[in-house]
Amino acid sequence: MSIEEQYRTRAKELLSGGAVKMVIGYGKGTTASRRRPLFISSPDDVERLVLDDACITNLSGYLVSEGLLSDEKRVAVFLRPEGIRAVNILAAESQLDAEQIVIFGFDVSGTEVRALKGIHVEEFSDVIGSIKEGAPEASEEELFEKIEKMSPQERFSFWQEEFAKCIKCYACRQACPMCYCRRCIVDSNQPQWVNTSSHSLGNFEWNIVRAFHLSGRCVECGNCDRACPVNIPLRLINHRMAEEVLGAFDHFAGMSKTQEPVLASFKKDDSETFIL
Amino acid sequence: MSEPFEPKIIAFVCTYCTYAGADLAGTSRLKYAPNVRIIRLPCTGRISPMFILKALQKGADGVLISGCHPGDCHFTHGNYHARRRWMVFRALLDFIGIPPERVKYSWISAAEGVKFAEFINTVTEDIRKLGPFEQYSQLIEQTQASASL
Repeated sequence: MSIEEQYRTRAKELLSGGAVKMVIGYGKGTTASRRRPLFISSPDDVERLVLDDACITNLSGYLVSEGLLSDEKRVAVFLRPEGIRAVNILAAESQLDAEQIVIFGFDVSGTEVRALKGIHVEEFSDVIGSIKEGAPEASEEELFEKIEKMSPQERFSFWQEEFAKCIKCYACRQACPMCYCRRCIVDSNQPQWVNTSSHSLGNFEWNIVRAFHLSGRCVECGNCDRACPVNIPLRLINHRMAEEVLGAFDHFAGMSKTQEPVLASFKKDDSETFIL
Repeated sequence: MSEPFEPKIIAFVCTYCTYAGADLAGTSRLKYAPNVRIIRLPCTGRISPMFILKALQKGADGVLISGCHPGDCHFTHGNYHARRRWMVFRALLDFIGIPPERVKYSWISAAEGVKFAEFINTVTEDIRKLGPFEQYSQLIEQTQASASL
């Protein structure tokens, strides 16, 4: 039985037994290669669930939708390892109770989809631990290294060119499971920290603020990058920040549901070589 | 005839240590560069990275941030939190292409009036050598351009 079939059966059991009130998974998209989020609350609909190598979106962001978990009923969700890490962070930041989340874990390598064993976040700690140990993914590393080698002026010009494309649609924010603030800093206007117009300065500021708020929290699921309508390589900035917190504070975001947020904790012997 | 370049520097300091240190520099009649505009805050933990961005947005050529030495914080650990934040923010600015030389951090206690004066002087000289932050001021100018289609 394929993993798709297995998970359909499991979803049917959970829904008909009343163990979960909803299953968040993937359904067919507008084209053959696209998948869209699917929200199922009736056992008759499980046949609409799809699970293949095109299921790349991190669905964990839907869990913090207003009111979804407030009735203390359980919700099942299809998650890749990044998604499981995101649930850990949301639990660590008191945005949800991890007990309410039933996980349908899966991972994709090439075109092969394999199931990850477990129901609750704690059971995936080995999987997450092995990602931390594993080498960073090779994709896009070339561009990343190119940027690292640039002088500050060249880097500034590179990002100026990239951010010039930004239309301030905030799709990166909407797609991100970590951007759950009821009132985002760019929506506040007293004081107005970030220029709202989509000129280069405002775009610079917005992207700096976004990256800073995600540092030590980003799980590099790539939702922002895929959501960007003008293809700004946002993942590179997020990756640089993840690298920084890992190197400086040995912090790998989403290791457990009790992990302290990196910027809300400290050690007395943190590095301070740059402070005069 | 063009005026020689005088850097505009904004300093965010905590009230319990560095501001008192600046006070000591004043009462000790120490001379230091007049390019710095000091903004006093309750603690380094209160210094949001937004402040740094805002200072640059308003045309600062350099930003200084200073507070109590680790262990001396009036609120016991505000500066420890700040230190982590700066570490990450510094890496971010560097990656985006804002030279780290333009944003400087230091610990200056209430007894270090001399260190304060020297810090201001060296940073002012460094930024004078770097020159105006032209790449950023170009961005600022664009924001002031009239709308066009």
